[in-house]
Amino acid sequence: MLTSSTAETVLRAARRGGADFADLYVERWRRRNLRVIDGEVEDAVSAIEQGAGVRLFFGTDVVYAYTNDLDDASLGDLVATLVRLRGSGASDGQVDERGAGGLDLRRRGPQGLHAPRIAFDAFDKSWRLERLRELDAGARIDPAISQVEGRLIEWEQDVLVVNSEGDWVEDRRVRTRCAANVIASEGDQTQTGFVGPGLSVGLELFDQNPPADIGAAAARRALTNLRAVPAPAGTMPVVIGNGFGGVIFHEALGHLVETTSVARRASVLTDKLGQQVASPAVTYVDDGTTPHGWGSSEFDDEGMATERTVLIDKGILTSYMVDRWGSLKTGYRRTGSGRRENYTYAPTSRMRNTFILPGDVHDTKDLFQGISYGLYAKAMGGGQVMPGSGEYNFAVSEGYVIRHGEVAEPVRGAMLVGKGPDTIQKVDAVATDLSTEPGMCGSLSGSIPTEVGQPHLRVSEIVVGGEA
Amino acid sequence: MTFEQAKTVLVRRASERGVEAEVLATSGRELTLSAAGGRVDEITSATRGGVGVRVVHEGRIGYASSEALDEASLAWVLDEAIENAALQSARGAVMVEGHALGRSDLIGEGLSAPVERKAEAVTTLESALTADERVDAIAFARYSESESEAVLGSTRGADGGYRNGYAVLMASPIMRQGESVKQGWEIDFGKEFHAIDPTRTTQRILEKVGRHLGATPLATGRHATVFEPEVVATILQLLLFSLSGKTVAEGKSRLAQRLGQPIASERFTLVDDPTLENGLASRPFDAEGTPASRTVVIERGVLRSFLHNSETARRTGQANTGHASRSYASTLGVGATNLMLEAGEGVSLDDGVIVTNLMGVHAGANPISGDVSVQGLGLRVEGGESRPVENFALSFNLFRLLERIEAVGAEVQWRPAGGAIVGARSLQVDALSFAGA
Repeated sequence: MLTSSTAETVLRAARRGGADFADLYVERWRRRNLRVIDGEVEDAVSAIEQGAGVRLFFGTDVVYAYTNDLDDASLGDLVATLVRLRGSGASDGQVDERGAGGLDLRRRGPQGLHAPRIAFDAFDKSWRLERLRELDAGARIDPAISQVEGRLIEWEQDVLVVNSEGDWVEDRRVRTRCAANVIASEGDQTQTGFVGPGLSVGLELFDQNPPADIGAAAARRALTNLRAVPAPAGTMPVVIGNGFGGVIFHEALGHLVETTSVARRASVLTDKLGQQVASPAVTYVDDGTTPHGWGSSEFDDEGMATERTVLIDKGILTSYMVDRWGSLKTGYRRTGSGRRENYTYAPTSRMRNTFILPGDVHDTKDLFQGISYGLYAKAMGGGQVMPGSGEYNFAVSEGYVIRHGEVAEPVRGAMLVGKGPDTIQKVDAVATDLSTEPGMCGSLSGSIPTEVGQPHLRVSEIVVGGEA
Repeated sequence: MTFEQAKTVLVRRASERGVEAEVLATSGRELTLSAAGGRVDEITSATRGGVGVRVVHEGRIGYASSEALDEASLAWVLDEAIENAALQSARGAVMVEGHALGRSDLIGEGLSAPVERKAEAVTTLESALTADERVDAIAFARYSESESEAVLGSTRGADGGYRNGYAVLMASPIMRQGESVKQGWEIDFGKEFHAIDPTRTTQRILEKVGRHLGATPLATGRHATVFEPEVVATILQLLLFSLSGKTVAEGKSRLAQRLGQPIASERFTLVDDPTLENGLASRPFDAEGTPASRTVVIERGVLRSFLHNSETARRTGQANTGHASRSYASTLGVGATNLMLEAGEGVSLDDGVIVTNLMGVHAGANPISGDVSVQGLGLRVEGGESRPVENFALSFNLFRLLERIEAVGAEVQWRPAGGAIVGARSLQVDALSFAGA
């Protein structure tokens, strides 16, 4: 995508202009997006995105510029603009001659750990449409199903990161996701169900997730809600389902241990390394290396190899998620967590695949034992979190009452309310059925693919808000 | 390859394959400078552009786009667009007849001032705001400029291009007086950097936010009401939803059956004019290459026209008004340009409420029904004297409000609103219900 002489010219200009460190990020995407409603194509859009971003560090001050014109003159102009503006501000960085003599580039590339089996250009468009029509047919399990939307998203991204320390890193990321959004209606009631598997794979996604199964699962969820009764309200024990149940801890705990907030002292978990921040039943991991994980990549967007980072070990906070800027600010070791949506964003510390490890309750049924009255939040929907305090509210998208240790009638409209750091202290039992699900995580550096996950787990008490 | 060359290559290749195609290349440059503590602390400099192709093949439309302009990328884009079209069931689409549209430069040297002067503008603004003792903190102080270029071509003969741009200075201070804390923002913008004046902007921001300090709750009641131009811009943005041909074609506009009928007070005349000299949203042609012309939307209260592109015009059986909008990566939509409320005789209020801010309009307004229920901030006027009031909710129906307009302001204030630039003026209506303390 770029010659090494162009990269060197850009980085050298940045160093001559007084930058302490500079990096250049270049990427090229091919994307396809197909959306089908009730079997008819609603959107079919294809796009190539290509661009580069230049980031200059002056101490811990960062300036950023991007372009999708990749010729030498255009990239040179970007750096010149940043250097000129920076010069008209206050402190100048020191000029370091190391960059002026030519960079000794250390080249690394992907080993294909997450490479797809089926290539991006395999099959034609009508093959894809057929799969989404199978999804539609699979969802028609009841006369109450009134609308079926199927989506197929295919991404192929080539990335190059070069920096003034001499790293030259290439990566390729291919991701495929198929989602069903089903509406069920009866009388004046309308409820929806969503299921959307996605992985770092090609169209072999459908081997593990047949389209008809995706549609049927979403339809069952919509029907369960349609026939549910309003949820109870009050403080009660809650069993949170595996897989997407992990979104609560992603939002209300994960974001609090990114240096993006920790380095600004904007998180309640600032300066808590080595301290008990969760129940001893909880070990919380952020893993960028999960084979074919939706949030996996071989390198992060700052060119560092990804790793498996244990954030919380048996309740003790052991690591934050640290990018280059966060490391400079705090002194913590970088964890390969620098990520961004695309070249229009500078990277920040972000989650990859984040989940709670299996616990010691081998039979999930045992989690429900001893709960005389509580809520089973089998599937979670959307929510909101105050980033500083971890206060959250999350909608339960599939919920049931727990009565005398048994899962009883379905309820709808339940809302879980609490503070992430409190809730994680109240996790008193964790099962072994860990699973993960894909999602899109939005933050300072845009919207990026991440997995959330956990086994079934029990929280001794959460405030449940019922239907108003 | 340049955007112009990429356009030419794609149009030629589409012709060779017997496919009707329209190629839109848009590119832009942006510079944003934020100031804090008397210096520029954040800089984003960007250029971004791409080429989007819209094909019509056997009456079906397909889209694809690229930010890379090499031969292989362009070939992939055309293949994908044709394949995407083939998947569609809906037929009957046509590519409009094109025209030679020429090349226009609507900005010239307007933004060519040295970057140091732009940095000085934003640091002057930030420092001047900080110097006011009522200012507690500054949420942001920002200069930004944007320059864009569009090139259009089609297999039906459309061929043209234009260049445009603008500069913006804006800030949001948090001001305090005793226990009363108020945050607000104001924006100054123009097609030329030298039209922006940090001293004037500072005064306007301090006046606009500062006048609300010491606000007391407004008692529940009915009051004669004047909406300030900024609030009117928000209301017109809400009305635009129902005036869009796309909304009409999708069966969601309450006004769909009202062409030729009175829908507003006869004091209300609304015009969209992409040919307005020095208009920030002026352009010689729309995203389909339809030459620009003035559209009277509402004339003395009577609904004269919706805003259409060729597709919504075809679907509704109405005339295309040349309001197609899209960027290279998006699908065809409808967008207003310089949307102006024509001048009235002026407003005057001896006893009532001047509404200066509406909060939460996006959540609190239903564009389809026109029902609006939002929190407001304003000034209570009694015996010609005014004092700031807060903590009240205002509920009204947009369509009924239009019928009840008693006076329109004389002075215009241009505001950006939902992709358009709205020439707003004050509006006065008879008694509205305010729910307060």
